[in-house]
Amino acid sequence: MAKKLEVKNLIISFRTNNGTVKAVRDISFDIEKGETLAIVGESGSGKSVTARAIMGILANNAIPEGGEIIYDGQDLMQIDEEDFHKIRGNRISMIFQDPLSSLNPIVRIGTQLTEAMILNGKANQREARRTYSYKVGLLSAAMKSAGVQDVDSKIKIMNSALEIGSKAERDYNYSRERIESMIKNINDVVIDSINGEPAAVVKEMRLIVKDSQNAYNPFLIDANKSELPALMNRFKDEMTAYKSTGDHKATDATLAKVKSILEAALAKSAPKFFAMGYCKLNNCLPEFDGKGIDAYNQAIERKLNDGFLNGFAADVAKGLEYSNNQAFIAKRGVVSQLDSALSKMSGERIDISVCEQGCKQLAKVVEASLDRLAIRKDSIAYTFKTSIKYAVDTYKHALKVENRNHLNKRDREFKNRMDIELYQNNIRHIISNASDNYKSQLAAAEKIDYIELAHEMITYLDELCSKKVYTVTKRKAQIRAIELMEEVGITDARRRFRQYPFEFSGGMRQRIVIAIALAANPDILICDEPTTALDVTIQAQILELINRLKAERQLSIIFITHDLGVVANMADKIAVMYAGKIVEYGTADEVFYEPAHPYTWALLASMPDLDTTEKLDAIPGTPPNMLFPPVGDAFAERNKYAMAIDLEEQPPMFKISDTHSAATWLLHPDAPKVEPPRIVTERIERMKKLGGE
Amino acid sequence: MSDLDKKLRIDNYTPDFDPAKEPLLRVRNLKQYFKATKAVDDVSFDIKKGEVFGLVGESGCGKTTTGRSIIGLYDITDGDVYFRGKRIGMGAGAEKRIKQELKAAKAAGNSARVAELEADKVVHKELMTKIQMIFQDPVGSLDPRMTVREIISEGLIIRGIRDKKFIDEKVSNVLEMVGLVPEHAERYPHEFSGGQRQRIGIARAIVLQPDLIIADEPISALDVSIQAQVINLMNDLREQMGLTIMFIAHDLSVVKYFSDRIGVMYFGKMVELADSDELFAHPLHPYTKSLLSAIPLPDPNYEKKRKRITYVPALSHDYSKEGPTFREVVPGHFVYCNSEELKKYQSEVASIDANAKKK
Repeated sequence: MAKKLEVKNLIISFRTNNGTVKAVRDISFDIEKGETLAIVGESGSGKSVTARAIMGILANNAIPEGGEIIYDGQDLMQIDEEDFHKIRGNRISMIFQDPLSSLNPIVRIGTQLTEAMILNGKANQREARRTYSYKVGLLSAAMKSAGVQDVDSKIKIMNSALEIGSKAERDYNYSRERIESMIKNINDVVIDSINGEPAAVVKEMRLIVKDSQNAYNPFLIDANKSELPALMNRFKDEMTAYKSTGDHKATDATLAKVKSILEAALAKSAPKFFAMGYCKLNNCLPEFDGKGIDAYNQAIERKLNDGFLNGFAADVAKGLEYSNNQAFIAKRGVVSQLDSALSKMSGERIDISVCEQGCKQLAKVVEASLDRLAIRKDSIAYTFKTSIKYAVDTYKHALKVENRNHLNKRDREFKNRMDIELYQNNIRHIISNASDNYKSQLAAAEKIDYIELAHEMITYLDELCSKKVYTVTKRKAQIRAIELMEEVGITDARRRFRQYPFEFSGGMRQRIVIAIALAANPDILICDEPTTALDVTIQAQILELINRLKAERQLSIIFITHDLGVVANMADKIAVMYAGKIVEYGTADEVFYEPAHPYTWALLASMPDLDTTEKLDAIPGTPPNMLFPPVGDAFAERNKYAMAIDLEEQPPMFKISDTHSAATWLLHPDAPKVEPPRIVTERIERMKKLGGE
Repeated sequence: MSDLDKKLRIDNYTPDFDPAKEPLLRVRNLKQYFKATKAVDDVSFDIKKGEVFGLVGESGCGKTTTGRSIIGLYDITDGDVYFRGKRIGMGAGAEKRIKQELKAAKAAGNSARVAELEADKVVHKELMTKIQMIFQDPVGSLDPRMTVREIISEGLIIRGIRDKKFIDEKVSNVLEMVGLVPEHAERYPHEFSGGQRQRIGIARAIVLQPDLIIADEPISALDVSIQAQVINLMNDLREQMGLTIMFIAHDLSVVKYFSDRIGVMYFGKMVELADSDELFAHPLHPYTKSLLSAIPLPDPNYEKKRKRITYVPALSHDYSKEGPTFREVVPGHFVYCNSEELKKYQSEVASIDANAKKK
């Protein structure tokens, strides 16, 4: 799976009046697509600071001392604010703990929800259009250079087919949304008529009629053939009768029938839109008979494949191969340059002028060797320029400060903690890393299946094209906003849409915040204790909501919390943080069933579950003051399993399995064997028994 | 025991009270309306001496309001609250009637009745000091401009105790009881961590030697590792001082661990009330079921299987024929239901027990 976000050796401190607070001390983790990473820890453990660093919203007094946050081929620690605007909120979104501070108190909820949607809709469309034409331009140039005939006309066919297909897809999705909304309203009618609220029932009935007018699509419900229009006509008459008599037997019966039709429609699978677009373009689109969608799909796909796609994919493959080979030639050159530069930089002190010149040159050639056509960006190559520049600048600054006595306060602090040896190693490390990366790519070059890549490329373009044709109007945004509000569990969303934040309770506000965060369709969602202020039922609803959205949208989620129960429900991977360090890192099963770090044991032992009767094993004391971080293991003071070495030296991460590691000296081969506390082992026994049932 | 210590004792005011015979706190038909909002609507329950009574429900269901109405932070709309057998809370109407009676008695020169009513007033005032509250927010509930000594001794001073030596002794005594040291008395709240501040809040509550403590979400604002410390502390204090605790919370695992009996509230109504083991073994009201199904546990396998039950009042009950009341389904287990549901619930309990026996 593709790594969505990588955090490497992140170190963040805060300048305060009392000195430098070491908030995050050298942590590394990564998240894959569609995966949830839970960061667990107490307040002050640095979990929120990590999240804020990823969002680029650290406070002013924060000092990013080192490390990388790599997302989509960019190092988020290095890029400027202008570039960050494109990522923050759109690609990486965040839900905060305190919902009140993330809402504007004097703007209506509805406006706050739709505002971003409309702006983002426009921006996304523009962005998709730009990326699409950029990639297609690169592709056609590569194909031409590879010697493919009639490139322009082929690309044109693809463009038109994709565009027609995407428009059909947009219409299809619109109808689908209307059908979903109808089903929802039908359910509401049933509940409200039991509750005896005729005004609400009539309102919802009207909405059903309104939605039904836009729900027809040959692939879902056919306006000409199906019985739905007849039912709807009957329903309209019954509705008038209901308004005067209030008897809902007839309408209920009709609605039940309507609902079954709608549910059947939603169960149908979608047509292949690219193929449809191609057939329409060539005026050979067969009429859909309303029955076997699979057979229909096969027929139009056969037409697309035979008539265009098989040949075109081969052509695209040629283009990709050409572009890749060009890049490889360049990369081979770059590798030798990198290696020779590295050999020059050995020795006690790297000569700064040689280093600066050399690295500038290297950055240029590495940038030139990038394969811009590749869908997956090569993060090491893309970040090379910024990271090498940062490393060289730090080194240069250190050299400058080293021999000077009169310094301003900031430089004085810098001088106190600088480590010239480390800076030199950083430079060497970045160069050798880039070289190794290219070498491994070159070694794997022969195994690349270009046809497969070509199909991936076409799918990618198809997705871009769908985004390109998707426009967000004010009305659409409003409908979507109300849907989002209902999705996150706000009842009576239409009325509440026009209310101000102070009219909502705490739980409701948090739902609004989640709706806003999701409105932009981000890739990565950072949840900073989103349910801490909510009670169990609502917490469960919101966790379910986040889990569902994760599955539907292949979201990667960073879930920050102190509640281990919540984590068990959500996490694929867990990082337990204490005093700015990750002390245990592993999959959810590993951390819960085979916890290895005493802090994890203590956390598990200090919370009761439904079967706990014995006295809780509370962790004594409080977390350490990070103004003066402890020399050894930060948890040693509160740890009843602490050994002498814990007070002297920080334990490294010991590997337990490929995915599981923990930073405790107890895992050292020489350490005495220690069993977790009884309350934990007993609980794990119990849980395993339950799981085995 | 010094005279001052005696002054802090309660028995003088309610000599007839016998904890074996009657509950420490009796709440009858408590109603608390805020204009049209029925925050608490006709709630009745008892709290026995020495037990921990848990009150759970979602935010806005009225559990905090119930606690605050009992301690007199709100003027009750209707209903009665009895503490140690004496009525300490009543609806506005009842209060007015008593005032009128006092006036009438004074006018009529009925001095015996006047004395009686005046004595009641004093008893009431004294009794109220025997109910103390611990608040959710350890930061907001302590005055930042007072030292810890001033915060803790404020209640003693209001009770009329001026003996400085006695106060100092008392303050260092309670500070030790809650796991702080007497030297902390001179510091200000901001010098403490969240867990320590909550300990100060607890010290303030226990210094008057209360019988009943209303703990309103005392641990939800604390860190995980500190939560266990505070729960253990409250458990220890309960044993040492024979405290009765009304524990308001939304974390069901903690409530289950800590409470002897649990009341479940939903939209201002008490929907179910039972011993905590009984409640978790036989949850009967659909809202309780949905609440229990929402508890997250630190067990990934269990979590994967967990199915949440949603509660929609309109679909769960049919109250068109007969309205619901608070009824006893099995001894000690009350559910808000009508007679049809009562039968259903009783057979449900029987079938759960039968299944458990088979296993």
